[in-house]
Amino acid sequence: MNHLRAVNRKAVRVERATDHDVVALQRNGLPQAPHFPIGCSLVFSPGWEADRTGGTAGLCQPVERDLFDCHIGCYWPAQVPDQLNHAPDWTAKCAAAQKDWRRIDLIFP
Amino acid sequence: MPTRGLRLALDVAVRLLAMFAVLSCGARAAAQTSAATAPGSVGNAEVRDEGIPIRSELVRAKCGSCHRSDQQQRLSRISYRRATPENWERTIKRMATLNKVDLDPADARAILKYLADHQGLAPDEERPIAFEAERRMLEYTYMADKDTADTCSSCHSMARVLAERRTKEEWELLVAMHRGYYPLVDNQPMNGGQGFRRTRPAQTEPGPDGRPPDNRHPMDKALEHLTKTLPLTTSEWATWSAAMQSPKLAGRWAIVGSAAGKGAVYGTVVIAADPGAPDNFTTDTRYTVARTGETVTRTGKAIVYTGYQWRGRGGDAQPWREVLFVERDWRNMWGRWYTGSYDETGIDVKLVRLGSEPMIFGASVTALKSSSTAMPVKIFGANLPATPRVEDVGFGQGVSVARIVSARPDEIALEVNVAPDALIGPRDVSVGGTAMPSALVVYDRIDGLKVNPAAGMARVGGNVFPKQLQQFEAVGINNGLDGKSGTADDLNLGIVSVKWSLEEYPATFGDDDVQFVGTLDQNGLFTPSGDGPNPKRTGNRNNVGDVWVVAELAPGGGGAAAAASGPPAGAATTVRARAHLLVTVPVYMAWFETEGGR
Repeated sequence: MNHLRAVNRKAVRVERATDHDVVALQRNGLPQAPHFPIGCSLVFSPGWEADRTGGTAGLCQPVERDLFDCHIGCYWPAQVPDQLNHAPDWTAKCAAAQKDWRRIDLIFP
Repeated sequence: MPTRGLRLALDVAVRLLAMFAVLSCGARAAAQTSAATAPGSVGNAEVRDEGIPIRSELVRAKCGSCHRSDQQQRLSRISYRRATPENWERTIKRMATLNKVDLDPADARAILKYLADHQGLAPDEERPIAFEAERRMLEYTYMADKDTADTCSSCHSMARVLAERRTKEEWELLVAMHRGYYPLVDNQPMNGGQGFRRTRPAQTEPGPDGRPPDNRHPMDKALEHLTKTLPLTTSEWATWSAAMQSPKLAGRWAIVGSAAGKGAVYGTVVIAADPGAPDNFTTDTRYTVARTGETVTRTGKAIVYTGYQWRGRGGDAQPWREVLFVERDWRNMWGRWYTGSYDETGIDVKLVRLGSEPMIFGASVTALKSSSTAMPVKIFGANLPATPRVEDVGFGQGVSVARIVSARPDEIALEVNVAPDALIGPRDVSVGGTAMPSALVVYDRIDGLKVNPAAGMARVGGNVFPKQLQQFEAVGINNGLDGKSGTADDLNLGIVSVKWSLEEYPATFGDDDVQFVGTLDQNGLFTPSGDGPNPKRTGNRNNVGDVWVVAELAPGGGGAAAAASGPPAGAATTVRARAHLLVTVPVYMAWFETEGGR
């Protein structure tokens, strides 16, 4: 990069952004998967707490947007109450978690 | 969190499977079917040979309506499993919440005690997974079998599996239970795994060892491994179940502990046996944070399961849990005491039975700087001499006791001088005929810092769900005699007072996490921001993010590997260290008895 100079605005932004210590972009040994800053992507399935790079940039955000989908599909049965067994009425007080998230209960299985 | 396109397909699949489960009687019915046929069923020679008779009338009465008994007093399913108290507790809870067993709390506690005592894990089986009950946050990789690790630990800790011993049929039924309750596990590609069933194309090429490819489902490979590795009958359990006694733990015990961010704690616990109930104890605890002098007193109660698993609780305003492993000599216990919504705040403790002999627990300082005078040091212990003379106390070469300020049997306060030519390195502390090896170190300067833990995690909360905090601490490092960092002779100087700050961990372009995730106080305690969507962030994101936690020590300043009140510790130049902090989403299921969630 020492002999290259940014010639357009996008390249300048890339240069500035990588000026610091962009650790997440330097990690080795991981599959090269793109980061999707917001929302569920179609290309990878991250963990609950962290995405596959160990960060949060690839998580479904906000989590409330995703909760009922996980609930109905029993997708994260250890993290989100499942509708088949433990909490069939979890969504009863709350039609859309993005709006009524304060009415979601913590479940003690 | 899963992909949306995939999830829609999976949702449909779940519903179909759920319908199928209902039509074909589902997992519960499967359990009952097995209850009706397990012992003595065709081809079940192993089961017939192995099961553990259940002689408790209470267990037989409460569980026997669904779990069938055979002529040898073995109950279906229950007799073919051993587990830790925590795993038995979760099973009993599940029987109440999902299978509608009607139990009053006293009966549930008695059943748990009986099962944990008579069908528990032997100490040597529990020892490698003690961190599970201690609720430590650590990264544990199960190396013995990758398929088993992928299959089980995509959702929960592998130690929860290692806390079980079962017959082959019982392992199969456990897998069946998971597939019945959570139909999606069959093809849930979490964390790079592929679910219980093989969802990737079958391999046709032989492996590197020339053998034909193993195209069994991951759950089948896991079953083979679990059956072989974690069987019901083991020599460890045979030995322990015969040798086990109700432990006699009453008496005075020394506590030597370490609290993240605070350093060493020293004190005593007086344990009294509850005459009405064997294995039940009450405790009277008093300890001092050596570095700050803060004193904590607490009363509590505890039960010991399986002869060695201490489970206690105490504290009024802030409840604390105690998980201890009682060694077979009844003279040592070790474990973790914890509190917090996610059990994240804790003290690592060792308890040693106190006799009449003098004992040194440790000192109020972890490091003494060479060439200093009248440094205040406290020695904590038990049965220490009440009127020690200066020559009764020793710190080794280059460190002399200037005067004794005060003395009690549990604490001697004194002042020491450190000579300019004192050799750097660990020192033993001795008082009146007893010595504590490597109780502190002598150093000349702080060459570097280290932040513990190197990777931390917090969870947003406070509005609906509780917060998970994260405590960091900075320890000073001296390069040792070789003057090189990162070598075996480096000296750990203990906690130093540093300037704490957060810095962005740039993971995306325009990353702005540091503005939202929360605050770090000057004691290294990170408190996350509130849960819920944040309208101030793009896309209404939560206050999640990843940031650097930075500790900085200015030249000559920073106050002290020594006591908080001691003189500046002295770094030659500004030294910095950092750790990664992940601030993430809550967990919406409380599988453990957390305190903050209720």
